[in-house]
Amino acid sequence: MIVNDVVCPFCGCLCDDLELEVKGDRVVRVQNGCSLAEATFMNDTRLPAPIRRTTTGWKEIPYDEAIKETADILKDADRPLLYGWSSTHGEAQSVGVHIAELMGAVIDNTSTVCHGPSILAIQEVGHPGCTLGQVKNRADVVIYWGCNPVEAHPRHMSRYTTYATGFFVPDAQRDRTVIVVDTRRNNSSDIADEFVQIEPGGDYAVLSALRAIVRGKDSVIPKKVAGIEKEQLIRVAEICTKAKFGAIFFGLGLTMSRGKYKNVRNAIELTDELNRHTKFVISPMRGHGNVYGSNEVFTWMTGYPFAVDFARGIAFYNPGETTAVDILRRGECDAALIVASDPGANFPRIAAAHLAKIPTVVIDPHVNATTSLSRIHIPCTAAGIDAAGTAYRMDGVPIRLKKVIERGYPDDAEILKKIYDRLNGSKGP
Amino acid sequence: MKVILESKVRKKPTIPIEAEAIIPRNFLKGTDLVVYEGNKERTLSELFWIFVEGTAVSPENIEVVLKGDTSRIKRVGEYMDTGSILISGDIGMHCGNFMSGGTIEILGNADAWLGREMRGGTILCRGNAGHYCATGYRGEKKGMLGGKVEVFGNTGDFCAEYLAGGEVHVHGSTGDFPGIEMRGGQLTIEGDATRPCANMKGGTCVILGKVHEMLPTFERIDRIVLPETKITADVYKGDVANRGKGSLMVKCPGPA
Repeated sequence: MIVNDVVCPFCGCLCDDLELEVKGDRVVRVQNGCSLAEATFMNDTRLPAPIRRTTTGWKEIPYDEAIKETADILKDADRPLLYGWSSTHGEAQSVGVHIAELMGAVIDNTSTVCHGPSILAIQEVGHPGCTLGQVKNRADVVIYWGCNPVEAHPRHMSRYTTYATGFFVPDAQRDRTVIVVDTRRNNSSDIADEFVQIEPGGDYAVLSALRAIVRGKDSVIPKKVAGIEKEQLIRVAEICTKAKFGAIFFGLGLTMSRGKYKNVRNAIELTDELNRHTKFVISPMRGHGNVYGSNEVFTWMTGYPFAVDFARGIAFYNPGETTAVDILRRGECDAALIVASDPGANFPRIAAAHLAKIPTVVIDPHVNATTSLSRIHIPCTAAGIDAAGTAYRMDGVPIRLKKVIERGYPDDAEILKKIYDRLNGSKGP
Repeated sequence: MKVILESKVRKKPTIPIEAEAIIPRNFLKGTDLVVYEGNKERTLSELFWIFVEGTAVSPENIEVVLKGDTSRIKRVGEYMDTGSILISGDIGMHCGNFMSGGTIEILGNADAWLGREMRGGTILCRGNAGHYCATGYRGEKKGMLGGKVEVFGNTGDFCAEYLAGGEVHVHGSTGDFPGIEMRGGQLTIEGDATRPCANMKGGTCVILGKVHEMLPTFERIDRIVLPETKITADVYKGDVANRGKGSLMVKCPGPA
């Protein structure tokens, strides 16, 4: 069977033009998708049932037993941590927030290790952004700063920028100027019109220098800033000010390098400054398929986009204090529920080590590095493959994920609702 | 009156305690106060041995002394307006939040957000202070507005971020971005600093040690002798990435 207009749930692009060939409970062919999409739909290996760690290995257990044990672990905890959420749909995320509120837990999503700093910067100075459709149809200057779309978001350039024909940009390759800013050459810089190679950790200084140049204060700027000649900075500033519509996309090279949210704030303030001359926008290149959705769901339910602490019954937010990595690093939490993410693979060693010390439960369709740190792993549906739901694209546009196959697993929202009911005496969220 | 709170041994010692109730004024009515350990409400006596010496008729005569392992206790001295607190060891995050009067003395180290959005009073930290010493809450346009924070050791990153008033004096060195987004007040760093005063809009910062990675958007305008220390310093105006009305003085590396 052929299924059209399928949304790929892997990265923040949420490409919605895939064509899948389905045979029984398997996807056998992916058309229009990138290599990441192909791997997402075709390498979908899962546990047959929940497993519990024993002294000698792992033992399969029924879903009801796994759910009961998870509820008991959360009930006994003085500071439980609920983390992940970014690879599932909004429906599961909202039940997670209800559990956090009920249990006085800390709930955090993967923004904490990706674009959390972007959110902090946006909270300080706002977000001059737009949809990807606007960029596609209008942008004649595109800057990729600290990101490598060719490898991390493979269809970003073909759907929205370098190779995409837009309403006001009929000959994309000729009409668009692409600038890549990074610490090293990569596949994206190879196809850029201008490559700006910054010394590691020099982003803040370069952004400040560009702001000063755009303000007409170039006389203050020294001959070289973070390894970049002043002439190149002036040239880049000129390309930007002369653009009809410019768009900056930034990645973890900006958010997770020295300076973090201050780098992003400086980039936003450069965008503001450029708006005195022309139209310019800035947007983060979000990673997980629905990480933007987790920020949306958390915000509309708690007022805060990530790192929300319900210990006192009301929502408190302070990244650095209530973020998952910090809580684990300080050994604060005494139980953890990990949903739709893999902190075991990308958290600092000390944080991952604490996850192994405390009772940790994983709810995820796939076995991952966190499984080996956990006490229980409960397999579930994968949003966008065998579960429908709402996800948010990297520009904040909500898109409905399709269910393309049936594999007989329970939806993670359903598992979470059962945990909530056990904790709340079956009253429901 | 002296109130001595000595921390009891806890079953889970790494779970943070939130104790904004620990301010001198609250002890006028007794010691029946509520604090929080993780998501559980506790009475003060569940977590501390409490000793009270003497009496007081007004809060300014009350001294609170914290002893034992206090490194995980947050928000001590929050909204404090008078009296004094002496911490004999380390203290957790947010000590002296929104403080408007009185004195807090920490004999050990202080964790992050020491003196957050302080309005008045004095904080003396004899050890080191963590990140965000004397700053504001996330997204606030103004951090510390008044009073004095004096750290005898070093501080972490973002010291005095959004400083808008009052005085911050660090005898040691600071981490990355001290005085970032500063818009008023006085910041003095006797040791070294990295990327100081980024995006500052006002206020004065004096650095008597070495500056690492001076930002390219500061314009040297003068060289002066600092009246208090008689040290020769270069005067910079910045940050010119914005309107650049701040003043940064850095000790000259060589003779004037």
